Amino acid sequence: MDGVFLLFVAIFTAYLGTMATRMKLKLKTVFVLYFTVSLMGLVYALMQLGQRCDCTEHDMAKDRAISRLRDELHRLQAQIRQLEEAKPPQKQPSKSSLPTIFVITPTYARLVQKAELTRLSHTFLHVPQLHWIVVEDSPQKTPLVTDLLMKSGLTYTHLHVPTAKERKLQEGDPSWLKPRGVEQRNEGLRWLREDRRDGQQGVVYFADDDNTYSLQIFEEMRNTQRVSVWPVGLVGAMKFESPVVEGGKVVRFHTGWRPNRPFPMDMAGFAVSLKLVLTNPEACFDGEAPMGFLESSFLKGLVTMDELEPKADNCTKVLVWHTRTEKPKMKREEALQAQGLGSDPAVEASPERKVQQRRDDNR
Amino acid sequence: MPKRRDILAIVLIVLPWTLLITVWHQSAIAPLLAIRKDEGAEGKREAGGQDSKEYCASDKDIVEVVRTEYVYTRPPPWSDVLPTIHIITPTYSRPVQKAELTRLANTFLHVPNLHWILVEDSQRRTPLVTRLLRETGLNYTHLNVETPRNYKLRGDTRDPRIPRGTMQRNLALRWLRETFNPNSSQAGIVYFADDDNTYSLELFEEMRSTRKVSVWPVAFVGGLRYESPKVNAAGKVYGWKTVFDPHRPFAIDMAGFAINLRLILFKPQAYFKLRGVKGGYQESSLLRELVTLNDLEPKAANCTKILVWHTRTEKPVLVNEGKKGFTDPNVEI
Repeated sequence: MDGVFLLFVAIFTAYLGTMATRMKLKLKTVFVLYFTVSLMGLVYALMQLGQRCDCTEHDMAKDRAISRLRDELHRLQAQIRQLEEAKPPQKQPSKSSLPTIFVITPTYARLVQKAELTRLSHTFLHVPQLHWIVVEDSPQKTPLVTDLLMKSGLTYTHLHVPTAKERKLQEGDPSWLKPRGVEQRNEGLRWLREDRRDGQQGVVYFADDDNTYSLQIFEEMRNTQRVSVWPVGLVGAMKFESPVVEGGKVVRFHTGWRPNRPFPMDMAGFAVSLKLVLTNPEACFDGEAPMGFLESSFLKGLVTMDELEPKADNCTKVLVWHTRTEKPKMKREEALQAQGLGSDPAVEASPERKVQQRRDDNR
Repeated sequence: MPKRRDILAIVLIVLPWTLLITVWHQSAIAPLLAIRKDEGAEGKREAGGQDSKEYCASDKDIVEVVRTEYVYTRPPPWSDVLPTIHIITPTYSRPVQKAELTRLANTFLHVPNLHWILVEDSQRRTPLVTRLLRETGLNYTHLNVETPRNYKLRGDTRDPRIPRGTMQRNLALRWLRETFNPNSSQAGIVYFADDDNTYSLELFEEMRSTRKVSVWPVAFVGGLRYESPKVNAAGKVYGWKTVFDPHRPFAIDMAGFAINLRLILFKPQAYFKLRGVKGGYQESSLLRELVTLNDLEPKAANCTKILVWHTRTEKPVLVNEGKKGFTDPNVEI
């Protein structure tokens, strides 16, 4: 249809053109004539834009591929809907009334930051009703994290608070010298307290950006009433640390280091119900607490040991691991930078760091 | 003058015609472009959760992005149109193995048409990995082959070490050649993914269009922020931007390239060289049998974006376990 019409227009135009030149018509007439013709053509083409592409007539390979892909898409969509309907009736309430899991992640700029946050976001994408609160250790929001969060597809809150200078680890300091992420976690708690409507069901979990989380742990923690606990793998210089459960209650903790702490467990080993956080506005992490007492400084005002809810099959399964990522070796990069030939900093693999700046920010 | 009038008349003839062609052309191309963009955005939006619908003016049909109940912990439904990505991952038992495979699986669960070929470095398939693979719900193949002990430990020149993972990767290549018929039309891409690296989801979509071998930059390798192929203005690879031996035939990390399955099947003799391979030449030992520098396809915006990071996980300190082991050995980590 298209082709025929255009051919007709072309022939007509050409004919009129030859006539015009031969007959020396008035220019104004020619102008009006062509104006009408082009207007008609334009209107027709514009009408085409609003309608479905008639693929079967064109026999273009692209059009065929598109209609094939479109059918494929519809089939997949239908399949998804079918799978959803076929799912057994949920024991839990429907999605909108699932308690929200608020995950507070302190993060700081270093080479592997983008990689860590990327793979963390892949895990979180599988968890329904998850709200990611990312708190940067920085005086302002960095574009790297802003961008990553925007593209992640997650529900998130982006906060930032710089760590006080005296609390920051210096170059060469071992990682256990000063507690990390204190101000950032407290900032996350502060935001929760100022923003949450009372009565909203939720759980608060502190997830560091280099740990590894299985998907089951989030379902375990979702129905926390006060504080729930579970084992954490690869922490405390052991294969795993864990609360010891007898008769459905936590009676002591299995840990290799200072078991006499009030709550000798790792940040990744517990979750607190939102209600408890909101009704105890003073509870936060104490940066002055001695090494290893950070978790206890937060929990001791909230709950006692016998009120703890054991999860993960009465604390017999490891569903979260305290992995740590190696610092990448940058010997050659540093050598090149000294010559002024470093890798293109415009390419974002990691936060841009100048050699001298790195000394201050290194941990 | 009549001559000028003629010219003017001719111009007035041609003008509406060109206008018509331009408009018609655009109206035909625009729906094609919009559809392709929608296809790419689709997958991610599925994984998201709260996005609003996007509208394509020309074709309202493809626009209804599915925003029904999000299907989690299940891979996307299989498509007969997308090429399958066969991911070959060698793995071995150590304390962080389950953690690494878990977070790798969490990433792979977002990628449609993914086939995970996990090859253990062990005498038998371990229950840990068997159970993990089954629980993920991914489409997988579980293989195993043990690297001989003496080759793993000794490092002298008389009996040089086989680089780690080589036998496992070769076994996977052999499995592919035994399973797939080179004459069948099943499109596939082969990618070697180590279990401690970090992969963005965009990477898998970039490699899906590989015709022979595609390449891209990798972060944190060769002692640099990233290593990358050098791409000229014509979009061809002409060299390698590395410090460590840039004159290798293929100065690229295992995670920096993907091969079309057809190429693997048509060259059944191409394997990773087991012995006598200098450090950093492993990738070259396979690639030089498959392709020349000229045939390489640069991805990731002409090798300017980082979509994969060569992260390494610290070996956990297990000092407190002591000689006899402090924790219950029946608990699986």
